[in-house]
Amino acid sequence: MEKFKCLFSIGIFGALGGICRYLIGLQLDYRGDLLVNLLGCFLLGFLTYFWLNFREIANWLSLGLGTGFVGSFTTFSSFCLDNLKLLLAGQNLALLLYLLISIAGGWIAALIGIKAGTEIGRRFSQSGEEDD
Amino acid sequence: MMIGLGAALGSIGRYLITIRLKKVSGWPLATLLINLSGAFALGLLFGLNLLPDVYKILGIGFFGGYTTFSTFNVELLALHHSQARRLELFYGLTSYLGGLLLVTLGFWSSKMF
Repeated sequence: MEKFKCLFSIGIFGALGGICRYLIGLQLDYRGDLLVNLLGCFLLGFLTYFWLNFREIANWLSLGLGTGFVGSFTTFSSFCLDNLKLLLAGQNLALLLYLLISIAGGWIAALIGIKAGTEIGRRFSQSGEEDD
Repeated sequence: MMIGLGAALGSIGRYLITIRLKKVSGWPLATLLINLSGAFALGLLFGLNLLPDVYKILGIGFFGGYTTFSTFNVELLALHHSQARRLELFYGLTSYLGGLLLVTLGFWSSKMF
């Protein structure tokens, strides 16, 4: 039952993540993928390390938001295909920029997310203890 | 709406593969295999000139939800923080080079149909 709840949650949140990615992509094309990927790296880093301080968080919720929503919001396959499309269109400068910003930006965004999540999570859990 | 269904199934598939493979290896093999297979499949789908709605459900929905950029980067940093710098570099290089190679291979194989 618990496993079903997790799968259901990942499915629902995953659907939302995919729809959000699609809607942003409609407006921005491959720049949309860049935006969702960088934003998602920050968010997943933040959530993953924020929750380390809260053991009581329900499994289905953390899996739904992290693995489901953010995991589905970001995409590796479209990132690869965007590069191929830019290559086929002969947009070499855009291709180079897209690659570099994705690779360096994704790493840095995840790093900032992890640092922020760790720090804010620690403060939250401390203030929670003081209240007790 | 149909994109959501594709993304839901893709996310569940990614999760099931990940929990199955996590026990086997100490490094993010699951995400690597998911991202590389997804890159190949999307290249193939893109090259097949499917009906726009079918492409949206399968390509943007399913394979978009199946592969992930965020988990990949957070895993890179986890390796970085546990001082596994070589493994981090190896994981990063195989993902990026492999992904770009496989999306091209997928696109190229679609032209054989």
